[in-house]
Formats: sequence, structure tokens, C-alpha cells
Amino acid sequence: MNVTINQEGNKYNVILEGRVDTSNAAQFEQDLKPLMEASNAEIQIDCSGMTYTSSQGLRYFLMLQKHVMSHQGSLVLRNMQPQVKEVFDITGFSNIIKIE
Amino acid sequence: MKLSRSFSARLSTTILVITSMLFIISMLVVLLFSRKIIAEEAKKNAVEMLSSTSLNIVHTLDEAESTVKNVAWLVEERLEDTTYMYSITSAVVAINEEIVGSCIAFRPNYFEGKHYFAPYAYDSENDSIQTKQLGNDQCNYFKMEWFAVPFLTKKPHWSNPYFDKDGGQIMMTTYSYPIMNDKKEVIAVLTADISIEWLTHQLCALNLNDNSKILLIGDKGQYISGNLPGIGFQEDIVKYEEAKKNPDFIKLIKKMTSLEKGTMTMRTGHYYSFAVYGPLYNGWSTAIITPTKNTFAKLNFMQFVIAIVSILGLLLLFLSCLRIIKTLTRPVTEFSKAALVMAQGNFQAQLPQIETEDEIKDLHDSFEQMQQSIIHYIQELKTTTATKERFESELNIARNIQLSMVPTDFPDNERYSVHALLQPAREVGGDLYDFQEKGDDVFFVIGDVSGKGVPAALVMAITRAAFRFLSGLGLTIDKMVEKINNTLSSRNESNMFVTLFVGKINLTTGEMYYCNAGHNPIVIHHADGHAEYLHAKSNIAVGVLENFIFEPEVIHLEKGSRLILYTDGVTEAEDVTEAQFGEPRLLDFAVKIDEKDSSKDIIDHLITDVKEFTGEATQNDDITILTISYKKD
Repeated sequence: MNVTINQEGNKYNVILEGRVDTSNAAQFEQDLKPLMEASNAEIQIDCSGMTYTSSQGLRYFLMLQKHVMSHQGSLVLRNMQPQVKEVFDITGFSNIIKIE
Repeated sequence: MKLSRSFSARLSTTILVITSMLFIISMLVVLLFSRKIIAEEAKKNAVEMLSSTSLNIVHTLDEAESTVKNVAWLVEERLEDTTYMYSITSAVVAINEEIVGSCIAFRPNYFEGKHYFAPYAYDSENDSIQTKQLGNDQCNYFKMEWFAVPFLTKKPHWSNPYFDKDGGQIMMTTYSYPIMNDKKEVIAVLTADISIEWLTHQLCALNLNDNSKILLIGDKGQYISGNLPGIGFQEDIVKYEEAKKNPDFIKLIKKMTSLEKGTMTMRTGHYYSFAVYGPLYNGWSTAIITPTKNTFAKLNFMQFVIAIVSILGLLLLFLSCLRIIKTLTRPVTEFSKAALVMAQGNFQAQLPQIETEDEIKDLHDSFEQMQQSIIHYIQELKTTTATKERFESELNIARNIQLSMVPTDFPDNERYSVHALLQPAREVGGDLYDFQEKGDDVFFVIGDVSGKGVPAALVMAITRAAFRFLSGLGLTIDKMVEKINNTLSSRNESNMFVTLFVGKINLTTGEMYYCNAGHNPIVIHHADGHAEYLHAKSNIAVGVLENFIFEPEVIHLEKGSRLILYTDGVTEAEDVTEAQFGEPRLLDFAVKIDEKDSSKDIIDHLITDVKEFTGEATQNDDITILTISYKKD
């Protein structure tokens, strides 16, 4: 799991790589912290390098989504691999998180 | 004894070697210079000794000459008084104590009727001076050197040494002085005999080293005096035993006979000697030969003493070093022992007491600090371990509670059968299942709480309790899910969510209402043997959005159908290469379900397949399977 955050003003370009699972979920939460503390943040996450997410990982995406909704920001997940997209579809998360 | 390996022994040895080397070098230098100085001193001494001896001898001989010359005029004056001649000779012997005999030998027939006339006086054994007439037919002095040479040359002469058979019966040399008349004809020869024994005495009185040789030789190389063993008086020195085998000795003799003065080093057998030589008097020459080892005897002795003292000193130094260094390093040895004791688990090992304020003290302090730190860490580790153990035991209790919350009494009657398996990955999982028969209907649910551990288990307990409660109220499936969703969503600060598949089968009609809240699609094995994933709208996992409107769906189940509900722990089970079991593999499994397989058999076979697939890989998600068989009549 590797999280790279590039910030320009209120624009956040985030690159996710690897797996999000139980073993590194806590680290993932820690890595996302700067995003959770920002207001009016326009967050774009490039998921092309993300190979897997557990339900725990989904939970952090949900938290992020709720955060941007309550802080006048936006969240877009891009270039998601099919097997990851499927998880978002099955759980219905693609209904509440914008995926491009 | 591990002497060669111990630090103190190595250091001591090094000190010993270096000290020895320094000592040996300085001793060599000192000895070399000493040798040189001693050799030069010895040479100088010998030369001085020789020249002073020469002077002594020459002085004595000069005195003898003077004595003779001083009385010569008396002879000339009183030639006619034959008796007076005896007085003159006696006087000569008396005046000069070195002169043992004196004679006035007249030429043949100087006095009428006296062919031989030679009045002679000499020291007798009892120290009185005796006189006698020397010449007769047995003692024809005319032919003797002491008479013949000055008689013919008309000059004074020192004879070669000879043994006096006729006069004093001793080895002697004679000084002859010609007495001449007015016509310058030699009429008599006045003589003085000097004992060679006196000479020998003179030479031997020199303070010589043992083994030193002194020799006095005549102009023809005849041995006169000295301390050479095995050679007699007047023997030719070149025939001497030593001379025959030693070319250096011959060289020395040549130099002596040619009256040279100087020093030379000569080789005598296995050792070297040096010789001092010089002319003495009357064509005589003398030499002192001293073996070098004699010269250096004292030095060699000193060398020996120094060597013994040094060896003892160095030994003492070595032992002192060993002792001092051992004393100094003893604490290190004790630290090593303490470390060993600590290595065996006794962290209270006694440290050596250090009184000094040096590096050893620093070591002691560091060691002590380390010891304290280790004790502290061990204590901390013990506490942590105890806490962890307590925590783990609590988790185990939680796990037991969780497992006891899902039903394990599985219905199996002529209409349907249900079986389920919940296998948590870690202590407490977040999966759940439940089922409940209500009249003609069988309610069932399978779910997966996001995350694991105690939080997930709590959410799972709430969800399961809600399902239990709601399924008894006669609500539609979608309303049930909405109520569960709202229960979980309100004040869901931690954003926990649950994927759920809730269904209800009417056992009479075969109608199945279901609602999927973000859960994996379930598998249906139809009565005709084919299997498929049930199409279901995903909606959204419960707990995510409050007041979400869930859509229910309905299908008709033919009798003989089987339902396989599962959580993603099955399809996402990974082998060691992180490849997933996957949905296609699950579908393949579902196709192969036999008509005779019970609900339990299906679970057993599926879990076996999953285990076979994952192999040695650790299970990283909860695995839950629920199977329902809608039996044929």
C-alpha cells in the first residue's frame, strides 16, 4: 500500500498503489489523514495502481466521502481496475462515490 | 593455562620483546665500543710495556758496558801486574750486581811462557766473589766468540748468548771490550758476563695476561729467553713447533729478525692474537703475543654477568607486567563473567567494584546502565506480554460470544434444510448469518461487517438482533433492510457498515423475496442441475446512508433448488501467490453439487475446495457460508 498526495491549493491529486487490506488498514487511515482535515478539498484519487480493497478499505473511502460532503469538497476516484470497481459496485458504494 | 591467548600475556610478551630488543641493541653498541676501546688500550699497554722493558734491559746492558769501559784504562795502566788483573775483574763483578763474571783474556803468549792467561772473577754460590785463571787447552778461549770477534774487529762486542761451561755454569751473554796498546794492537779483551736468567726474570716480571707469550730472540733468530714452552736456549725459533704450523708466526719472526717495530694481528689455531714486537739491543728483538680472548676475558665475563642480570631483569619485568595487566584487566574478565551470567537470564548479575576513575570505570557505568535498561525492558516486556495475554483471552471470550450468537441448530426436515459455517480469520470476526422460520416462510440473512475485531463483532451483534426482531414483525424484506440500515446509520460516527443479503422463501409457493444490501451475489443451483449467480440489485451496504430506499426483488424457486450464500472470505480467499479463489471457481463448484448432497455436505465440500486452493496461505478474512436446500416433495 502506497499513498502519494500532491496538493495544489485545494486540489489534491492522490495516487493509490497496492492492496488495502486488514493488515495495513490502519496505515491507510493514517495516510489519508491530510485529506480528512482539509476543507473545500477537490480530491482526485488515481486508483490505477490499486489491486484490492477490503471492506475496511471501503470504510475509509466512505469516511472520506462523508467528509467532503460535509466540508463543501468533492471526491473522484479514477482509473479503477475492474476487480476493484466490482467491489464498489457490489457494495453499492459506486452509488455514493463518484467513479470515473 | 590459556596464557598464549590471554590479553595480559600478549601485552606482557610484546613489552618483553620490545624491551629485550632495545636492551640487546644498546648492549651490542656498548659492547662493540668497549671491545674497540679495550683492544686499543691493550695494544697501547703492550707497546708501552714492551718499550719500558726494552728501556730497562738496555739500561742494564748499558750499565754493564759503562762498568767495563770505566775500568779498561786500569788494565792498560797496570798490564804488568798479573795479580792486579784479578783485582780488576773482581771489582767489575762487585761494582755491578748484574755482572756475574768478568775476565781479562790476554792474547796468546802476551806474557812470556803463558800461552793462555785469562784472570776471571765470578759470583760463587755463596755470594762471595771467586777468581780463577780461565784459559787452558780444554778451554781455548782464543776461538770463542767473545774473544775472537773483538780481537779481530778491535771493537767492543756483545756475544750471542751461550751456556758457560767453564765459568759461572749459567746461560749468559758477554760484553767484550778490546784493550789495545799504543800500536793499536789488541793485547787483551776485557769482558762482563750478564746472566740470561736475569733477562728471563726481567721479561717474566712483566704483568702479562695468562696465556700471553713473550719471547726474546737473537739476530739470527735463535731463542734467547721467554716463556715459550718446548723450546730450548739458542734453538732456532723457526724450528719451534708453533712456528712450523703457523705462517703468521713466521711472519712475526721475520719482522723481528729484521729489527722492525710494530704490532700485528695473528691467527693462532682457532683464535686470534695480537703481537707487539720491537728491537731491543745488539740485534736482539722481543715480542709479546696476547690472545684476543685474554684481552676480552674481563669484557666477556662482564657480558656474561650482564646477560644473566638482563635475563633475570626481563623475567622480573615480564612477571610484573603480567601481574599488573592482569590486575588491570581483572574487571574486564569479571565483566565478561557477568555478561555470561546475564546471557543465561540472570540480569541481576553482580558487577565488579571499580574504585578507579578510568576507562574501566566508564565500562562499568555503561555496563551497569545496560543492565538497568535490560532489567527495565524485561519488566516492560513482561507487563506488555501480560496485558497482551489478558487482551487475547478477552478476545477469545468475545469470539466465543460471537460464535454462540449465530445459530448452530440447523433445521433439516422434509421441506427444507439449512446449514452454515462461520470461520473467523482472527480472534473476533465481522461476519454473520441467521435464519428463522415464521409460519410458511423461512427468513435468512448473511452479512459482512466492515473491519474486524471487537467493533465489527458489536455491529454484527446489533445487526443480527435487529434481523431477529424484525423478521418476527411480518415486514416486507425491503422494509426490514431499511430499518436495519437506519438503525446502523444513525449516529454512525465510526462509519462502520455491513453488506447484507436478506431473503425470505415461502415454502409452499417457492416465491423468494430478497434484498441485497451491497453483498456478494448468491449462487443458485437449480433443480435441473445448472447453477448461476442470482441477479440482484446491489442497492448499498447498510449503515452507509440513512433513509436509503432499498429495492426488493422476487424470483420463483423450483423445488430441489439449492442456495449458496457466502461472504467475500470465500471468493477472495488467496493462495500463497495472492491469486483469489474467485467467483468462476465457486460457480464451477456449484455446478457439481450432487442431488444427494445435503446442505452440510455442500459446505463441507466447498470448504475443502477452498482449503485446497489456499494451501499454506493464512486466512486473512472471515469465511461464512450458508446453504439452503428447498427440497422436492
